[in-house]
Amino acid sequence: MRPEERRIALALGLVAAVLVALVPAAAQALLDDHAYWIQVHVWILFFAMCATAWNIIGGFAGQYSFGHAAFLGLGAYTSTLLYLNLGVSPWIGMLAGGTVAALAGAVISYPCFRLRGAFFALATIAFAEMLRVGGELTDSVFGIQINGARGLVIPPVGNSAWAFQFTDKASYAYIAYALLLLTLAIAYAVKRSRLGYYLAAIGDDEDAVKSLGVDTARVKLAALLISAFLTAVAGTFYAQMVLFITPTRTVSLDLSVQMVIMAVLGGLGTVFGPLLGAVILVPVAELTRAALGGSTIQGAHLIVYGVILMLVVRFTPGGIEGQVRRACRRLVAWIADLLHGPAAARAAVVNAPVIQLPEGSGLGLRAAAGEAVPLSVENVTMRFGGAVGAKDVTIEVGPGEVVGLIGPNGSGKTTVFNLITGFLTPQTGRILFGGRPIAGLPPHRINRLGIARTFQIVRPFTSLTAAENVMVAALPRCATLAAARAEAERCLAFVGLSHRLDTVADGLSTGERKRLELARALATRPRLLLMDEVMGGLDQRSLPGMIELVRRIRREGISLLVIEHNLRVITMVTDRLVMLHLGEKIRDGSPLAVVSDPQVVDIYVGGTAALR
Amino acid sequence: MTELVIQGALSGLLIGGIYGLIALGLNLVFGTMRVVNFAQGTLLMVGMFMAYWLFVLTGLHPYLSPLVTVPALFALGYALQYFLVTPLLARERAREPMSVLLMTLGLALVLENLALMLFRGDYKTVQVRETSAVWILGDYIVSVGRFWSFVAMLGTVTALWLFLSRTDLGRAIRAVGQDRQVARLLGMNDRVIYNYAFGISTAVMGIAAAALVPFYYTHPAVGTSFLLKAFVIVVLGGLGSMPGAALGGLAVGLIEGVIGIWTEAAVAQILLFAVFIAMLFFRPAGLLGLERK
Repeated sequence: MRPEERRIALALGLVAAVLVALVPAAAQALLDDHAYWIQVHVWILFFAMCATAWNIIGGFAGQYSFGHAAFLGLGAYTSTLLYLNLGVSPWIGMLAGGTVAALAGAVISYPCFRLRGAFFALATIAFAEMLRVGGELTDSVFGIQINGARGLVIPPVGNSAWAFQFTDKASYAYIAYALLLLTLAIAYAVKRSRLGYYLAAIGDDEDAVKSLGVDTARVKLAALLISAFLTAVAGTFYAQMVLFITPTRTVSLDLSVQMVIMAVLGGLGTVFGPLLGAVILVPVAELTRAALGGSTIQGAHLIVYGVILMLVVRFTPGGIEGQVRRACRRLVAWIADLLHGPAAARAAVVNAPVIQLPEGSGLGLRAAAGEAVPLSVENVTMRFGGAVGAKDVTIEVGPGEVVGLIGPNGSGKTTVFNLITGFLTPQTGRILFGGRPIAGLPPHRINRLGIARTFQIVRPFTSLTAAENVMVAALPRCATLAAARAEAERCLAFVGLSHRLDTVADGLSTGERKRLELARALATRPRLLLMDEVMGGLDQRSLPGMIELVRRIRREGISLLVIEHNLRVITMVTDRLVMLHLGEKIRDGSPLAVVSDPQVVDIYVGGTAALR
Repeated sequence: MTELVIQGALSGLLIGGIYGLIALGLNLVFGTMRVVNFAQGTLLMVGMFMAYWLFVLTGLHPYLSPLVTVPALFALGYALQYFLVTPLLARERAREPMSVLLMTLGLALVLENLALMLFRGDYKTVQVRETSAVWILGDYIVSVGRFWSFVAMLGTVTALWLFLSRTDLGRAIRAVGQDRQVARLLGMNDRVIYNYAFGISTAVMGIAAAALVPFYYTHPAVGTSFLLKAFVIVVLGGLGSMPGAALGGLAVGLIEGVIGIWTEAAVAQILLFAVFIAMLFFRPAGLLGLERK
């Protein structure tokens, strides 16, 4: 975006924000039934706030919670109970409610965050339903009346800012607007912070994030706490607007589902998507109710919501934010052209068919990561049910040494990698890194100690750009986003991907993805790098570049453990070879000795084939 | 006291058969496509309304309704898979795509609220002999309707088990469930197999509906409560496991029946959810499911 375009976009945004603020006043001046329209306006703002808060954990990190109404209910009940029993102003109760909801979120997160996808969704439903049913059955908690399913009524006191009660709807509209702006600002800040990068990467591939030294459980917890707090704030607002709350209404599954639908329609993982979703769906719900005769049919609007959800999932799975954003961009560019003349054409990115590594200095990894230390895998065994993954395996990788790991498919090579990097815990045996036992440590801790890996089937964060992919890896060791970006550019240059910095990883070729994954692993500043078939699937023209890249990595002075099937290539780059067969180590020695061993040839190539 | 507990357990076990049937349908779809079908309960509701209206309009006994509802629901399930789910699976690379969950959630919202609009929210019941008839066995009472629902469950589980283990299509469904890429390479048309799996899973709801309608109320929202229980059962009994679904259903029915002696059904519901979360946490593969890597 040109600087003048940025200024225009900012100006348009401010105009829109001011216009929204003027809606209640305009409605009062122009419409007879303004109370109704202002109420619709308030509902839009309220749902936009809920959906934006939901999106911080649900969309940013792809953790689909279907129980967010529980946080809303906790917020509503906390502030209301404080007000009714202790006379505490709901403004203060709002913060207390947010805190209670965040605490509840912390408790829930412990069992839930071990679950993925649909199971996370089901567990959040279960928690919310327990809270709802429990609330309906309970008349008092520790002597505090909550009246079960009958709910709580806040007695009206007229206009009182302190009691968070107003006789005119417009006041609620202004408060809802302020709260929404606050929520959007927080969502924006999260998205643009290191937390935002981690969350987006977790949404794509959580295991890969762990392998880069990020404690994903803590990252998700942070997002959930923020999300729960903000949802509870919306809950207090709801209680003060309606002045009557029950578990059935506040902690309802329908409410949770509506938050999800709005965020999905708008665009998961975007800052403004949920707002767009609410702007579309709330009026649609009102129109449906009006068309089908008032509120006699409770669920009429849910039919429309269901249809819209199905259409979005089928035809625009990313939500409509992308289209709206592009339309806004075009509008801004058009205005900019009008005011400043047309912009110069951009240079197109050219595909580089053969790996081209830049001349020049390396990454300075040894200086950054500290002296290389030895890795010792000692008598490690891992069984899966009846199958043996690794049996009494012992492997040494000396400081600065390059060791190759070979063996037929199913011989346990990747299992050994998973054991070393903490994705599996060995049943017996020890793994020492620099003399320190590491078996059983979580993957992110092992990475922090200086062990990085790539995956056999490449796992880039497909929704992030190449630079952002590497930034996720660099961030734990960088003070600022700018520093991480610079580090990412350095690492991508090192692997020959400078021309792809801002390409979304989904659009990279297999060879480029392999190098991206190497850059990502190198950005964690490893002392030992485990490479799982980085040459696999490369064509003949790309192979020499990749071999050169591996040699350059080795010149960085870090130790390497390399899985590779191409025996010619692996003998070229390694100091020593270890051969696994059916989970057991059967050879360990100089590359040429191992690959010319008759037994190795017999197992690997079936005996008759000769090695060149 | 003991009599009371045994009576509660007996009633619970019998209704647990129905829970097992619904979980069975859920498991068939999950086992093949790794997809959680949020519309499973709603499709049961559709079956119940079909059986209800067949009875009201033509006087057909609900127990004969599967003659109509099973083919109709099979066709519906087949079509839903063909038109709604397959296009998503073709697009997604993920093994357990969330988009399909959202799609079935949308479908459930539409069907449930459409039913609410068409049939209103009152509780509908049919009056047949099985509605109130009981057998007295010594000190205990057995509801005839619940007994037959239990028999229906046993019959369906056996039939499905035979189908999945003895027929080519059944084996193909299991194969596609384990690895759709490999199954495709071996010449199976995974999409058609998905259609059949979804169709069968939906058709089973016709049997569950027929068994339920005589002694249970028919209501647009009836699916949701059964669906949540079915999730608990699927996780309890093991994902993709047919006997697990049946036994899990019985276990949930048993817990409900026994707890129900002392307190409200809602308390049992809370307990079930607590069990559910504990299971997910400690033994996510279920009691009978295979350990997944």
